[in-house]
Amino acid sequence: MSASAFGTAFRRSLLLASAWLVLAFLVLPMTVVLPVSLTDQRYLSLPKAGLSLQHYRAFFGDPVWLSSLSQSFGIALCSATAATLVGALCAIGCWRLGGGLASAIRLLLLAPLIVPTIVQAVGMYRLWAWLGLYDTYPGVILAHTIIGLPYVAITVSAALATVDPRLEQAARSLGASGAQTIRLVILPNIMPGLLSGALLAFASSFDELIVALFLTSRAIATLPKRIWEGIQVDIDPTIAAAAMCLILLTLLLMLASVLVRGAASRRMRRIAGAPA
Amino acid sequence: MGTGATTGVGVRPHSLQVRRLTKAYGDQIAINDVSIDVERGRFLTLLGPSGSGKTTILLAIAGFVTPTRGQILLDDRDITGLPPEKRDFGMVFQGYALFPNMTVEENIWFPLRVRGVGRSEAAKSVKASLELVQMGHLAGRYPAQLSGGQQQRVALARALVFQPNLLLLDEPLSALDRQLRGDLQWELRSLHRRLGATFINVTHDQDEALSMSDEIVILREGKVEQIGAPADLYARPATRFVASFLGESNFLAGRLVATDAETFRIAVGDATIVQAGRPAAAGPDGDIVLALRPEKISIGRSRPGTVNAIRGTIVDSKFQGASHHVQVQTAPFGLVKVAMQAWGHAVDLAPGAETWLGWSPDAAVAVRSDG
Amino acid sequence: MSAAVLGPERRAYLGLTAPALALLAIFFVLPLAQVLWLSVTDPRPGLQNYAELVSNPLILRIWTTTVRVCVVTTLVSVVLGYVVAYAMTRVSERHRGAMVLCIVVTFSFSILVRGFAFVVLLRSEGVLNSALQGLGLIGEPLRLLRNETGVVIGMVHYGLPVAILALFSNMRGINARYQDAARGLGASPFQAFRLVYLPLTKPGIISASILVFIYSLGFFIIPTLLGGGRVVMIAEYIRVGFEETLRWGHATMLSTSLLVAVLLVLAIMARVVDLKKVFGG
Repeated sequence: MSASAFGTAFRRSLLLASAWLVLAFLVLPMTVVLPVSLTDQRYLSLPKAGLSLQHYRAFFGDPVWLSSLSQSFGIALCSATAATLVGALCAIGCWRLGGGLASAIRLLLLAPLIVPTIVQAVGMYRLWAWLGLYDTYPGVILAHTIIGLPYVAITVSAALATVDPRLEQAARSLGASGAQTIRLVILPNIMPGLLSGALLAFASSFDELIVALFLTSRAIATLPKRIWEGIQVDIDPTIAAAAMCLILLTLLLMLASVLVRGAASRRMRRIAGAPA
Repeated sequence: MGTGATTGVGVRPHSLQVRRLTKAYGDQIAINDVSIDVERGRFLTLLGPSGSGKTTILLAIAGFVTPTRGQILLDDRDITGLPPEKRDFGMVFQGYALFPNMTVEENIWFPLRVRGVGRSEAAKSVKASLELVQMGHLAGRYPAQLSGGQQQRVALARALVFQPNLLLLDEPLSALDRQLRGDLQWELRSLHRRLGATFINVTHDQDEALSMSDEIVILREGKVEQIGAPADLYARPATRFVASFLGESNFLAGRLVATDAETFRIAVGDATIVQAGRPAAAGPDGDIVLALRPEKISIGRSRPGTVNAIRGTIVDSKFQGASHHVQVQTAPFGLVKVAMQAWGHAVDLAPGAETWLGWSPDAAVAVRSDG
Repeated sequence: MSAAVLGPERRAYLGLTAPALALLAIFFVLPLAQVLWLSVTDPRPGLQNYAELVSNPLILRIWTTTVRVCVVTTLVSVVLGYVVAYAMTRVSERHRGAMVLCIVVTFSFSILVRGFAFVVLLRSEGVLNSALQGLGLIGEPLRLLRNETGVVIGMVHYGLPVAILALFSNMRGINARYQDAARGLGASPFQAFRLVYLPLTKPGIISASILVFIYSLGFFIIPTLLGGGRVVMIAEYIRVGFEETLRWGHATMLSTSLLVAVLLVLAIMARVVDLKKVFGG
């Protein structure tokens, strides 16, 4: 091996080793939650004598934790649905409007992602109280819909960017109304983007904390809010079990989005397959 | 669905009038006071370079562009304000715009589906349409699985299945390779003849326009330059633009020196040319331009017997299968392009060879050179 | 040729955007406007709330801490992220897939869970200290929590995936042959990198830095959990002030200053790179 080839190989190994070291810093800390949730101890620690499911029993046996889980699920489902519906319609509108107006609308749609949530939450507090939305499900759902909108807007706009605008004209010239065109032509062609936007909106609501802290009091305690209060008050390993639930749900959502993309690409392969 | 319902496919012939149509985008005028009459059952082509406004006119006819001024009439009925889906015009889009999420069959079913046509009737029409374009065996395929030519046929079937009032074609052949383009030109002609429908085609390709159309509208910078049958336009271009856009031409610019009953003479440098007809296209100070097609010039070693004859030197020549194209340097006209059939002649085409060019008084045509 | 939309059509498409615009106008823009309004009117009209920004040493200290933590977080995230993103452009498709998976999994993890994991790991009696003590590497437990080190560790964990994705999307567009060409012209590997590659990745570095910086500015969960009341950043301070005193003028002034800081950084960024690309719009 020549000196320069050795140098190249050495530099490459060094680069890859450093990169994976950084990636290990990203991934490894997450994995600590699993053993801690299975600890046989009564306080937050790694298992000593053996593994135990006691904290999962505590979590699933506690109506308060279960109620938080179902509250979070319901809120995420409603707000993701609303954000997807409203965000997708808006993205489609912008897609065809084009020009400066559409750019301005898209920027506004992204704004909730840019403005710090804490600032939004401070502002929402008074309006929500005034509208009687404070500490109510509609109130939290509404706030989470706003927070979920940018995700839908981004994914749906990206999906629309690959759709030929002439498809829309073709549908109209063939006699389809605007609504028929959206339902029969545009929506089927942006489905993967729409679904991943919906999943992102769901996830963003499911682990949203700040708005939940500001806009709710006694009536509502979402899972993140309960975990947060748990960490603040006393660190009981049940929180690790609750955190594992959040993790599992995240992984499920990721799996779902991989499956959605997989199905879409299989479909594309089928559609784009070579003529027999 | 009209009278053709029994056959499934069939287009009622309609006439279309475009009256003084203008479309401005801010300061920019895309089409400027354009009037076109399309008779029933005609195959009309809008021909022009890019930016000439041809696509804007087609989109206005289809209802996708609202004209700033002017009217569009279908059989004398004003349809200017009608939305695209209410016009019942079949349209074949550039790139075809087949719905990628639907099979061939579903694509063709689409216009019937949105019109609420019953399943069994729709199935019959779809089948007839597929057969019309010989695509029955590929009904279950998705567009991406089809070749360009097949996609083009599906787009045609989809545009025809609902028996539209007219068929609009936006650069229907531009995405295909040359060989296929030639074949499909024949097919489109034959389809037009069989259906007897009114077709409006947009293209920038002069060959396509010449070979398929009953009538050509030549557009330039948003205005109509000339309208006519292909052979008429080719033989008698009214303007320098038309003469150079439709085929090739040599332009001989000179000054009117004499006029008699059937001919006039113009001086170009030292040479004098005799030209048939009236010098209607002459400018106020007698300036006049003649357009002379390369294939109307004869080339030979000795002075030809034609009225007009000049000497020249061969600069270069290229062989193009059916013909030779020759560049000849002449004193009065500069470089002259000559086309001659590639067989049965005995002319020395080597660069530098001295040669004679000749043409008759009715070979050239006086054109307007303004604008 | 532009296929402009018809007048009535245009109205229909505007109609599609109406629900989103109405939602955002009432429940996003209006609350923000109210924040701005209250910051100059409560308890009485004037700029006295903003005077506190310079006169109140506590607020000054909190802003200083916030900016310092954010700058360190950004630097660390972008430098480490650059290494990973660069490596991603130099590996096989499969290898890159594995790296992307790590990043996406991290990215999609709840920040609350990440904060919790770091609390478990970094506490004095936590997993890391126990392990190090068990191995005999350290005698006294390291103090990793309730100080800026802990906060930066947690925030880098959030900033890194953001930085990597921004840098990678820029590097992906750079032809690897440029460096080869530089080598062919006689440059050393380091010179080829410094003189050719690095300048080409400048837009990526800028957008990564600014993205990480603006997200860090408004961070609440990580600083609160890992700072443990010792390291207080602006978002936590807003929350605490809001909960304990309910001085609207004060809370909204702090919120406005945070918003202005974010918009300011964003405005700088807009001059340098295309914002639409950065946010994937």
